[in-house]
Amino acid sequence: MDFQSFFMTFLDLRLMALVGAGTAAGIYIGAIPGLSVTMAVSILISFTFSWEMYDALALMIGIYMGGVYGGSRTAILLNIPGAPSAIATALDGYPLAKKGQAGEAIGLSTTMSALGGLIGIAVLGFAAPAVSEFAIRFQPRDYMLLAILGILLVGSLSGESLIKGVFAGALGLTIGCVGLDPLTAQERFTFGHIELWGGISFVAVMIGLFGVSEALMQLQHINTPAVKQKISRVIPSWKSVVKFLPLSIQSSSIGVIIGALPGTGGDIAALMAYDHAKRVTKDPEVPFGKGARAGLVAPETANNAAVGGAFIPMLTLGIPGDSVTAIIIGAMFIHGLNPGPMLMIERPEMFWFILGALVLATGFMLFFGLTGIRLFVKVVELPRAMLFPLILLLSIIGAFAVNNSLTDVYWMLGFGVLGYFMKLYGYQLGPVILGVILSRLIDDNWRRAIISEREDLGRLFHGIFTSPLSLVLFMAVVMIFFTSTPLWPMLKKRLRRKADPAPKA
Amino acid sequence: MKKKLFGAVSAAALVFAGAAMAEYPEKEIQGIIQWGAGGSTDAVMRAVTPHAEEVLGGKVVMQNMTGGVGAIAAKFTMTQPADGYTLLMGAENPMLYKVMGLGDFDYNSAFEPVALLARGVPILVANPDAPYNTFAELVDYMAAHPEEVKFGSTGPGGLPSVVTAMLDAEVDVSATFVPYDGDGPALTALQGGAIDVMPAVLGAALEAIKAERIKVIALVDNTPNEALPGVAPITEDFPGYGKYLPWGPFFGVFVKAGTPEDVVAKLSTAYLEGAQATDFVELLENRAYLPINLSGQDAKDYMAKWQSVTSWLVQDAGIAKRSPEEFGIPRP
Amino acid sequence: MHDPSRRLPGERLFSVLMVAVSLFLFHTATKISGFSGLAEPGSFPMFATGMMVITSVIITLKTFRLPHSDAHGWKAVFPGFVIFTAILMGFYALALKPVGFLPTSFVFLTISTWVMSRGSLLHALAVSALSLVLVYVVFRIVFSVLMPEGVVPEREIIAYISSIFAAGE
Repeated sequence: MDFQSFFMTFLDLRLMALVGAGTAAGIYIGAIPGLSVTMAVSILISFTFSWEMYDALALMIGIYMGGVYGGSRTAILLNIPGAPSAIATALDGYPLAKKGQAGEAIGLSTTMSALGGLIGIAVLGFAAPAVSEFAIRFQPRDYMLLAILGILLVGSLSGESLIKGVFAGALGLTIGCVGLDPLTAQERFTFGHIELWGGISFVAVMIGLFGVSEALMQLQHINTPAVKQKISRVIPSWKSVVKFLPLSIQSSSIGVIIGALPGTGGDIAALMAYDHAKRVTKDPEVPFGKGARAGLVAPETANNAAVGGAFIPMLTLGIPGDSVTAIIIGAMFIHGLNPGPMLMIERPEMFWFILGALVLATGFMLFFGLTGIRLFVKVVELPRAMLFPLILLLSIIGAFAVNNSLTDVYWMLGFGVLGYFMKLYGYQLGPVILGVILSRLIDDNWRRAIISEREDLGRLFHGIFTSPLSLVLFMAVVMIFFTSTPLWPMLKKRLRRKADPAPKA
Repeated sequence: MKKKLFGAVSAAALVFAGAAMAEYPEKEIQGIIQWGAGGSTDAVMRAVTPHAEEVLGGKVVMQNMTGGVGAIAAKFTMTQPADGYTLLMGAENPMLYKVMGLGDFDYNSAFEPVALLARGVPILVANPDAPYNTFAELVDYMAAHPEEVKFGSTGPGGLPSVVTAMLDAEVDVSATFVPYDGDGPALTALQGGAIDVMPAVLGAALEAIKAERIKVIALVDNTPNEALPGVAPITEDFPGYGKYLPWGPFFGVFVKAGTPEDVVAKLSTAYLEGAQATDFVELLENRAYLPINLSGQDAKDYMAKWQSVTSWLVQDAGIAKRSPEEFGIPRP
Repeated sequence: MHDPSRRLPGERLFSVLMVAVSLFLFHTATKISGFSGLAEPGSFPMFATGMMVITSVIITLKTFRLPHSDAHGWKAVFPGFVIFTAILMGFYALALKPVGFLPTSFVFLTISTWVMSRGSLLHALAVSALSLVLVYVVFRIVFSVLMPEGVVPEREIIAYISSIFAAGE
């Protein structure tokens, strides 16, 4: 281990300040629905072009770590996730805020985010080469199975009606198909419009469904005053940290693996972790969806652990683990580095420097997260007549800024109104966004898998049953499918009925 | 009141019109990057532009506008005034829009080249465990095992499809084509063993080659390359490819056709001079891109030749949507 | 807040509309590449839209069987505020490009703040101006997001202001 590089950011005051400033900025960028970390980091490339490489990286890493965490703030306080990776956080975080426990919820999510982040970094530091070898061995069929596993989460995101959840999920999958097919450039659902070739921007859909529709929904009750938040207890008790330790280790593992896989990131990791928490938590203090703390801890640990995960293939192989690391790779090129398999051999100090900066950023995140709560909570207590117009304005700019396109703004508004009606009539919006995230992953990899077996289903299944990884994923798909559909309770009832009469006889 | 306001507005307009008469650039220039942040076009443009800014004495605000294989950015630039305040920073793709049915324009018809900066070198890479080491061996292997080799590919008109069309024009390529949505994911898949062979740009594969995670099967160029010592160009064993080469994806900066000549000249000087900066030259070297540094008529000729070779290759491979003949593109 | 055992006003219409949308999308999906193979560009869209058709039909059948909700009238479901805001946003989006970001946003913020707070217009103007300046600084200056300029020659103004500073140095 290269201690000198690892502690570089800790010892150099300027680098330390840059990491700190980046983390603080990241928290706010992540929290504002219109601003995303990806956008911030890509703008930083030209901004930091003339800087020293270490300075630029320190700032970017801070923003990345802070931004992933920051999305949870608005998710908890306003039910508007600031970033895709915070969608699952809103499910149980917002109900807590409605009870006036926002301070405690943010405190817990901050501590757990930091814990998840550290676990991710630890895996990066100790097992990066092994994990990346494992990750690139994923074949198209494995990605397909993983994505199917993901889409089955509809079961736990559907709320009151599974069938409405399935509809919402299918709608999301369809939205994800719009545009030129990435594999054959065939037009799909474009109706002859060139604006639709690039597809419907994922961010526009998300801001519409979660930002605008939520704002419209809350306008129904414009006259009820905001809930007064108790912020006396922010730092969670040692007892509750210990209580959630096993769960957070499990969800961090999900986060690291999903983060390390090229093509999947913190958003999917957080949703999968939420589902996992729902399965393993035997008796939560309150039901999931009503403010269960486990439902807050799992996605928050997972999405921050995914940060370390995303750096694993990037630093060991030069393969980006998600969209932010893809941009950081671009930045490293501009600064004269060559991220790739040789980076660890030719410039090992870079690895340790990034690792150290990540640890420091996590520390800052914990610090700013726990100290800045009062100010943030004040935001929610602002008069709604001030808050909502501003949120709507930010939604419009945010949708526009992704591709500098007005079409995205119209989509965003359209989905805002659609989302309002869907919420009104008992459809959950989580499955829609899940569908949009997973659509291409399923479609592309299904086709790749079947094309590389020359369109022979028999050969595909032979491949699945002869590879241990594929087989495990396949079993998981089958198991989750049965337990999340009505089939399983029916089967259980049948079995019990058969078993019950036995003692009597 | 209304009249007064109108008067004030027109006075302001006069002031700004006067400002426009002064020396270019008078205000921020918009740079529209055709591809996403972190991509190779993005990296090249963000690296060269600060140096060009110094020569130009102005500021270029760059933004990525992706979608429609670059057509959305190109069409956006075409809707802006031809005053040199909107630059299109793009790759070779628009030169294929006509035959791929993506539009009725190209760089030579709708734009004025400011500077062609660099081009990539196509290569053929394979998984290191593959039982062939040269292109000749691969051809023999494919003949003995038809459709068994998994070739990575991307959408029609992308580099892998053109290179495959080029290879197929001289030898029989019998393989299963597994589609990917870019050369990055496809190279990852190659390292993971999901595909066996992949046409790629040298720059994107270079680091993985150095680490021996993938191996070079062919250098699809007519001269040896400094970055690949000991690898002979494909024309050595297969001289038939000579008529298509040198070929490769290129990067350039463009303005809308009709932009005043002195503005184009000023921009050209800025970008060509900026491209001489040491760290930019170094970046190209690291990424194994070859500098082109052409502007004006030379750039137009270069692109016309490129278009002729590529359009007919994709036409003969049967992946073109419209024949190059329709647009009067001559056969090379 | 949604009671699954009761039907809200408009719920029937919405569910029928979803069936219509699903059928239309399914029809479009079948035209992408037909039924020619498992790995065609149209296969997955057909699967997804097919799921939409099946589920939306089931939802509609269930919805029609539900008793009417007594607790909510149309007013409670679509309060004036919501409709007003949605329409205002629509106008905002339409005017954004021709008129430009700064004037449109200012008008939008002022009207919506004023109506929602039912306070004084002056207060609304002040609050909107403050928010807009904040947003403009963050997005336009710090993040270089080029919003539509419309009638305001922003780039000239910025160039002018920076030339003053440059001259002062």
